[in-house]
Amino acid sequence: MRSKNNGKDFCMFALPGMFCFFAVVIVPFVYGIYLTLTDWDGVAKVKNFIGFKNFAGVARDGQFWTSLLLTFKYVILVVVLVNVLAFAIAYLLTRGIRGQNFFRAGFFTPNLIGGIVLGYIWQFVFSRVFVSIGESTGWSLFEVSWLSDPAKAFAALVLVSVWQLSGYMILIYVAGFMGLSEDVMEAASIDGASGFIKLKNIIMPLMMSSVTICLFLTLSRAFMVYDVNLSLTAGAPYGTTEMAAMHVYEKAFTSRQFGVGQAEALILFIIVACISGIQVYLTKRQEVEA
Amino acid sequence: MKRNLMTRVAAFGLVTALTTTMLTGCRFGFASDPDDPNEVEEEIPIDTSVDTFEYDSTLDGTSITLLNSKAEIQVALEKMAAEFEDRSGVHVEVMPVTDGDSPYTKVVSMYNSGSAPTLSILDTTDVIALAEEKAEDLSDEAWIKEAEGYLTEVDDKVYSFPLCIEGRGLIYHKAVIEEALGEEFDPDTVETQKDFVELLDRLVAGGIEKPVSMAKEDWSLGAHHLQYIYETYDGTSEGAQEIIQSIKDGKIDLKSYDRLTEFLDMFDVLKKYNVAKGDPLGADYDEMAIDLVDGKTAIWFNGNWAWPNLEEAGAEAEDEYGFLPYFLNNDSKDFANQKIQGSPSKQIMLDGQLATDDQKAAAKEFLNWIVFSEIGQQMLVKTCSIIPPFQNNPYEPDDPLSCDIYEKVHEDKAFNASAIVPNDHWAVLGSAMQKYLAGRSDREELTESIQEYWDEQK
Amino acid sequence: MKQTTIGGNKRKAANFLAMAGLLIIFVAYMFPFIMVVINSLKQKRDIIKSPFSWLYTIKGLSFDNFVKAFTQMDFLNAFKNSLIVTVSATVLVTLLAAMLAYYIVRHNNGISKITFALMVASMIIPFQAIMIPLVSIYGGTLNVLNHRITLIFMHTGFSMAMSVFMFHGFIKGNVPIALEEAAYIDGCTHSQTFFKIVLPLLKPIISTMVILNSMAFWNDFLLPSLVLSDKKLLTLPLSTYSFYGTYSADYGTIMAGLLLCVVPILVLYVALQKQIIGGVVAGAVK
Repeated sequence: MRSKNNGKDFCMFALPGMFCFFAVVIVPFVYGIYLTLTDWDGVAKVKNFIGFKNFAGVARDGQFWTSLLLTFKYVILVVVLVNVLAFAIAYLLTRGIRGQNFFRAGFFTPNLIGGIVLGYIWQFVFSRVFVSIGESTGWSLFEVSWLSDPAKAFAALVLVSVWQLSGYMILIYVAGFMGLSEDVMEAASIDGASGFIKLKNIIMPLMMSSVTICLFLTLSRAFMVYDVNLSLTAGAPYGTTEMAAMHVYEKAFTSRQFGVGQAEALILFIIVACISGIQVYLTKRQEVEA
Repeated sequence: MKRNLMTRVAAFGLVTALTTTMLTGCRFGFASDPDDPNEVEEEIPIDTSVDTFEYDSTLDGTSITLLNSKAEIQVALEKMAAEFEDRSGVHVEVMPVTDGDSPYTKVVSMYNSGSAPTLSILDTTDVIALAEEKAEDLSDEAWIKEAEGYLTEVDDKVYSFPLCIEGRGLIYHKAVIEEALGEEFDPDTVETQKDFVELLDRLVAGGIEKPVSMAKEDWSLGAHHLQYIYETYDGTSEGAQEIIQSIKDGKIDLKSYDRLTEFLDMFDVLKKYNVAKGDPLGADYDEMAIDLVDGKTAIWFNGNWAWPNLEEAGAEAEDEYGFLPYFLNNDSKDFANQKIQGSPSKQIMLDGQLATDDQKAAAKEFLNWIVFSEIGQQMLVKTCSIIPPFQNNPYEPDDPLSCDIYEKVHEDKAFNASAIVPNDHWAVLGSAMQKYLAGRSDREELTESIQEYWDEQK
Repeated sequence: MKQTTIGGNKRKAANFLAMAGLLIIFVAYMFPFIMVVINSLKQKRDIIKSPFSWLYTIKGLSFDNFVKAFTQMDFLNAFKNSLIVTVSATVLVTLLAAMLAYYIVRHNNGISKITFALMVASMIIPFQAIMIPLVSIYGGTLNVLNHRITLIFMHTGFSMAMSVFMFHGFIKGNVPIALEEAAYIDGCTHSQTFFKIVLPLLKPIISTMVILNSMAFWNDFLLPSLVLSDKKLLTLPLSTYSFYGTYSADYGTIMAGLLLCVVPILVLYVALQKQIIGGVVAGAVK
């Protein structure tokens, strides 16, 4: 398709999509960066240029760094759990067991409900259903609401995120497994490779492209967790489960330090961009052409 | 359970009696329940025969918007707007603040988008933040003189219309207390913190193991509980500002500030008798309403806005509920032990930046209509169930909680002090209070958190 | 997938275990939905006091919550709004993203590279970071908020990156360039080639993106709440606002309302299920 009317192609194929994307995402984002360099509070008519003062404000905001640390902890747990679980389930679902199509569809259902509502349902489950189960069975695990204890509330947040994200990742891993050719698997079995060796030496390298995508998606989504954080715990108990994205929002709108909040959002973006970049670079290197 | 049978109408008694057999029997059916609060459309009749309000006919056809941040009166406001449109020809579009948005965020984003609402119902602190930049000066409006004592001034000007008075304190369920005590209960006999503890002990002896409910939510702890330390400084808004300023300036040492110590003493009392003592941060708001109505508890710290929740839990307008003060010490002469807190909470601000002159005039007419027209007065009280801050409004609210506040306001048994604190006060210090409630911090740490918070506000 | 015969019994036992494990995890996955369905039929008091049980309710089960949700949401109107927005935005983004991805794959030039890199990077921009600038540009400067078309446009823009990313992967791996070259030799123009040869090949990934995007648009709350304020334009999720009070929530109605919102998308999902799964499968294999 290396033809001479490249320009016409560009206008016809690329321009409309690019226009939407730039107009809605990039322009406001750049404008947002500009706003971090001003003292605009979201209300005033005048915006004064104040340089990097807002970033100094970020450095002073201890709670931001605490929440960022918590976010790292959360991301690591979620990324590992989601991918291990999804990988394992996807593996099981491609072994030809009965009803696997039904299962595949079922595991996808958490994606059918939006994040905020989903958090509310789980909040209801944790604070009402589990407690009522605890009351009637006497299981001490459910005796008090998980959401009122810092460690358990954090666990609840991880659990719900894993639940929500793994459905999607299962589908991608299933796709990856289906793409492995039968010959490779059979050859491996005949050669007498045991389960673990087979997994490590044959399956994993071939699955790396799926792993790259899934890691990228889980990483970025976990870093930006907001909906579920807000509706499940809202930072409770006493602010111990406030993740970075939620803190940014609170800073900008509840504490009304708009510039600082915007600057924190930018820092969060840079961190996520770096980490995802490194991850994609590292896992891409592991990929082999199947 | 016996109490319910005696005091409720037959239909409800029957249903409640079933709770005792809940675990053995079951009822399955699609029949609608006569007691279901969702079903009985409570339509309080409004007398529309008299209307002496003078409408400005030149405004006919004007359209204004009203941003409502008081979700529970959304439907009522829509009815009011429709009635007003019928008579004045002015269309009022009532827009709700959707869940997940704070009213302030919503207004700010609407200003940014150039579609600011003509009128917006906001919290006092929001009005102060926006007044000079965005709001229309309302100092010369006719209703000003009817709302004396309830106005918020910014630089000696009034930028907002006080919509309602809200009061808070310890809600008691009289029938439950009498059942447990085995005698008449006169709330006026409880005059000090000591009396109150005595009452609680007698309730415990009477079979109510943990008689108190308290919410775990940060707005309850951070705003409704903690703000007593500012409001009871001398019981006025000016006093509250004064003490806040002193704390900010470091002129007063919080550790030796009496009202804080006293407040924590009272808070500890409530904490000790809390029904959710085993898991105070797992307490559920709706369950507290049910517990109070059922008699599992007798006292709930909350405000008159809790009525719809109680009603939903089965309380009836004829039941006796009322407020006890937040007892701070053992001095029966102290106003804090005699009076409950009641002040204007929601304010309506008129947009002065984007609205046209016609829209401003129409909005002003709407506000005046609420205060001066027979219909507006009725609808404010009856349709919206609001306690009006306007002296000329002759109507009384008809739910027991609002009634009690209303009476106390008129008998000088309420003090009107609003502490104007930054918008994140309830969230930040609410967390600190949660920690204290859960027993994970002590007074010293809590006091430090409060001091730190104010130090940051300089 | 054919079973190999090596280690037959062991294999059977393993399969049984796998099945049992899957079933347990599956039930755990479904648990919240089961709770929603059960509680949507109960009254608030029963929901709070005995959320888990279905049989031991004081007030019985009824469809009252559904009736209430249906009327309070102005369901039919909100449904219509959601449908218009979702369908238009889905069609638009699917088509534009497919074309853009196709261009990027086939033209390995600077613009392609930069655009694609920006898109991948943009997938990690927190929405909060562009929320206020967005409304201040579109509302303050351009004054185009409160129109359906604005919402459709924004939905399209926000989902462009992810869609292009997915199409890009698929086209790279599954659309052989040889076919197109053959088409050119036969005298097809570029657009003819794209619409007649390439697009049909994209069917699996198209159905995936249709379901993913339409689900996202259908459920989205934050963006529509920023763009729309006129009551006649509200979408389904926005119309359930009134069930969340300032202090407490109307659980029964919320759950009924939630089911009412989800059912249409569920129907679509079940209808398209084969293609979706096939599509995701095909899309991810590069």
